[in-house]
Amino acid sequence: MTTGTIFDIREFTVHDGPGIRTTVFLKGCPLRCAWCHNPEGFVRQPQTMVTPAGRRVVGQDMSAEELAGILNRQAEVLAANEGGVTFSGGEPLTQAEFLVAVIDRLEGIHVLLDTSGCADAHDFRSIVQRCDLVFFDLKLMDPALHRHFTGQDNGPILANLRQLAGLGVPYVVRVPLVPGITDTEANLTAIAEAIRSLSGLVGVNLLAYNRAAGGKYPGLGMTFEPTWDETQPVNASLAPFVAVGLDATVLGLRDHEGK
Amino acid sequence: MDTRLETMRQSVRDGDHKQWRRQITVDIVPECERENLSWVRRSARLTRRMCEAEQVVIGPTERIVFTRTIPVVPSLYSPSAWRAVTAGRKLHEMGPISNICADWRMVLEQGLLGRRAAAQAAREKFAADPQSVEFLDAAIETIDAVLALADRYARTARERGRDDLAAILQHVPGRRPRSFHEALQCLRLCHAVLWMSGHYHCGLGRFDQYMWPYLQADLESGRLDEPEAEALLAEFFITLNKDSDLYPGVQQGDNGQSLMLGGVRRDGSCGVNRLTYMALRAALDVSMIDPKINLRVTPDTDMCLLELAAKLTQRGLGFPQYSNDDVVIPGLVRHGYDLEDARDYSVAACWEYIIPGKGMDVVNIGAVSMPAAVHRGIVQGLRDGADFDAVLKCAADDISAQVKAVANTYHDLLLPPAPYYSVLMDGCLERGRDLSHGLRYNNYGVHGAASSSAADALAAVKRMVFDRNEVSGAELLEALDRDYDGFETLQSRLRTEAPKVGNHDDMVDSLLVWLFEQFAQACESYGDNGRGGLLRPGSGSAMYYVWLAQGHQGMSEPVVGATADGRRRGEYFSSNLAPSAGVRVRGPISVLQTYSKLDYSRICNGGPVTIELADSVFRDAGAIRRVAMLIRTFAQLGCQQLQLNTLNVETLEDAKRHPERHKNLIVRVWGWSGYFCELAPEYQDQIVERHVYALGEPVIPVQVKEITRHESKTRIDATGCLPVVPDRLQRPDGTY
Ligand code: SF4
Repeated sequence: MTTGTIFDIREFTVHDGPGIRTTVFLKGCPLRCAWCHNPEGFVRQPQTMVTPAGRRVVGQDMSAEELAGILNRQAEVLAANEGGVTFSGGEPLTQAEFLVAVIDRLEGIHVLLDTSGCADAHDFRSIVQRCDLVFFDLKLMDPALHRHFTGQDNGPILANLRQLAGLGVPYVVRVPLVPGITDTEANLTAIAEAIRSLSGLVGVNLLAYNRAAGGKYPGLGMTFEPTWDETQPVNASLAPFVAVGLDATVLGLRDHEGK
Repeated sequence: MDTRLETMRQSVRDGDHKQWRRQITVDIVPECERENLSWVRRSARLTRRMCEAEQVVIGPTERIVFTRTIPVVPSLYSPSAWRAVTAGRKLHEMGPISNICADWRMVLEQGLLGRRAAAQAAREKFAADPQSVEFLDAAIETIDAVLALADRYARTARERGRDDLAAILQHVPGRRPRSFHEALQCLRLCHAVLWMSGHYHCGLGRFDQYMWPYLQADLESGRLDEPEAEALLAEFFITLNKDSDLYPGVQQGDNGQSLMLGGVRRDGSCGVNRLTYMALRAALDVSMIDPKINLRVTPDTDMCLLELAAKLTQRGLGFPQYSNDDVVIPGLVRHGYDLEDARDYSVAACWEYIIPGKGMDVVNIGAVSMPAAVHRGIVQGLRDGADFDAVLKCAADDISAQVKAVANTYHDLLLPPAPYYSVLMDGCLERGRDLSHGLRYNNYGVHGAASSSAADALAAVKRMVFDRNEVSGAELLEALDRDYDGFETLQSRLRTEAPKVGNHDDMVDSLLVWLFEQFAQACESYGDNGRGGLLRPGSGSAMYYVWLAQGHQGMSEPVVGATADGRRRGEYFSSNLAPSAGVRVRGPISVLQTYSKLDYSRICNGGPVTIELADSVFRDAGAIRRVAMLIRTFAQLGCQQLQLNTLNVETLEDAKRHPERHKNLIVRVWGWSGYFCELAPEYQDQIVERHVYALGEPVIPVQVKEITRHESKTRIDATGCLPVVPDRLQRPDGTY
């Protein structure tokens, strides 16, 4: 029996892909992005979260059968509404074996993988091949900056991105806009340059900075220390992508944000 | 909306029309006593004197007129005489007939002069029956009063050079309207006089069905184009907000001016027409608390219509409320409604189904406290050392006893005569019988309140005490007795380890199904309700989710303390069909799947599945379509009724102050979701700020407050179908 650890299952996650979707959040991530808004996704082990609303254990061990069972009970509803299941996290690929076991048990459900790309190349390939759509998050192209802000090299990530382009599974590249960090013209241009000729790319999403990103840290006994000005409007610049003929959109931005 | 309508809306919001109100009381008691008038004649006299006392108000830009100037509806009897005529009898709520719906189609078609002719004909036919003659004379008195009022409006309009209005008011409400404009004016006046006569929760029925012939003729002849028609519609909706504060309800704004759209026709064909869409658009434009829009849907309803409705849902007004034809109609048929009538259903003040013109159902006579029944079963079963079946048996007996108790109090119900309302109903004049004697349908509605909390308590005991032996019966009894003081660990286990309704978990959901089966069984075996009707069980909670937990003045339903689901004394129960407060659920799909397990053909009184959406849901380009899909899923899964709320800033602010009430409140900002109450305060502020910006089109906060139905506030989730009267409307002597 393959067991995994999830920290939430949320239905009607309208921002996590097409149609009506249910998103499974898997626990554990090799990265430590300084702007991460899901810090309960960092470590694999269940944790206790203490908040004004009380104490709660985040993280639940579940067998692949159990999770697939919960999802299969919604299969019809998800299919009837152009949707499916999204695996997110954390980094879902840290639980590759579990993820394979779950996906293989799903009964005709559209599967979307939301990944940082930071994973073993073999695991990455084997799971992507089981998916219908991939959201591939790209943060920073500069290796040093990437290491500084996420704690990891972006080499393996970019290798997986190149691998992804050859797998025949459609994917969207998503860039979280962090003011002054990832939203620089240089970074956006470098990303556009890196992905311009990749095959299978169906779109680019720039995600507006989530100013509530630090909300969960205190409850987990962690501190959120942004080195950027959170109130600064993000540079939601589509120009670098348009310039190389890519179809890009900004999500989550409202009039008073951005410039 | 153009600037004329914007100004008009603002002026109604500002209450400018209140300047015309006069604090005078129309006292009809002396003349009634002098003339020794019967009750029915007094009712007619009341309508007449109220119409006569009205002063004509014609706003310079108004195209649909009538503004009420006499706020107070007077008594029919002196206090002592009132006590005498009602001695030993049960009155429903405030007394007067309420919470039904007139046959507006017939009223428009015949006009009040047509109704007058019908009354005259009946008067000749029943000349030998003094009771009929008296009723018909009373009915005619009311018709003449309304016509005289219209005539005064017409003359004043003429004097002020408003020949357009004068022509309309000379024609309606006497005769069949010649245009959509006249039809709206006719409805406005006839409807307003109901409220002036002391009736309340006066429904507007299937508006897009009965209004469509008039609009269709105008559109086809080119007299009107769609934008002009929508402007009239918007003005009509605005006028319905003028008198809202004068209408009785649990709280201001909760006035039961329900308006139904969509659904099948009497012959079963699809009744959705252009007006269905236009009315939704007008409601969206106007964005005021009235009228309360209801929409009938099926699994096949056009997505365009659902998307338009979803836009209205986004507005955060708490409507439209959705009803599923495929479920409601068979349920009504099973309860004795003719198929054609069942297809013609509308909704009463909140959610109970009612047939316009034909239903004299009293749709909310009270509630059965499901948690009280379950609590009794648990306490008795554990004390006796009995098995779980014995717990269930005792709970079932208690449900049955509660049904009998509430129904027995209404067995001898006294409905006061209602000559004016009778004019507007199907067949009253023709039969020479007042509405209070009954109509085609004379059923009573009873609600099974706080059902999810009750099922949670049963499930906790079954799992923890009986199936797994993890908690001893004695310990649980003591914990309940002490309100979990000193038993916090047990309380927390009951809350977190036992299955809860709302997660599509068959173990607990089957107990919910069982509870409603027992409730339906008890209602079915009750028999005649005393008025030739039966009991219709429903699933609404109204304010009972608070009252059954904390008590309420004048309430006869039982109050319970701590319950086995880990809830402490005084904490709210679940409301309508929604998970208990503080229960973590995965989302709306599981909630709908849970409640789709109920056999709604046996619980046909209504009571919605209640789902709250964060307004951040709407920030994605595809969001409206997805919300429309959610509504369609509600219908496809076979649920009966859906109330979809959009969460707004006030709820978030309340959640900041009272996190314990909002543990399940989820805020989503792109790919990320968090439980609002678990966020550090500065981030909560951040989110509140986001939501403030997200509101888009302005909606007056005060009005949103009035009608939003969140679990969080004691003041709200009001339904008005309840036996309470706001102080300002209650007379010291209890009369109306
Ligand atoms: S990859 Fe995603 S989950 Fe992991 S740390 Fe970065 S933002 Fe957080």
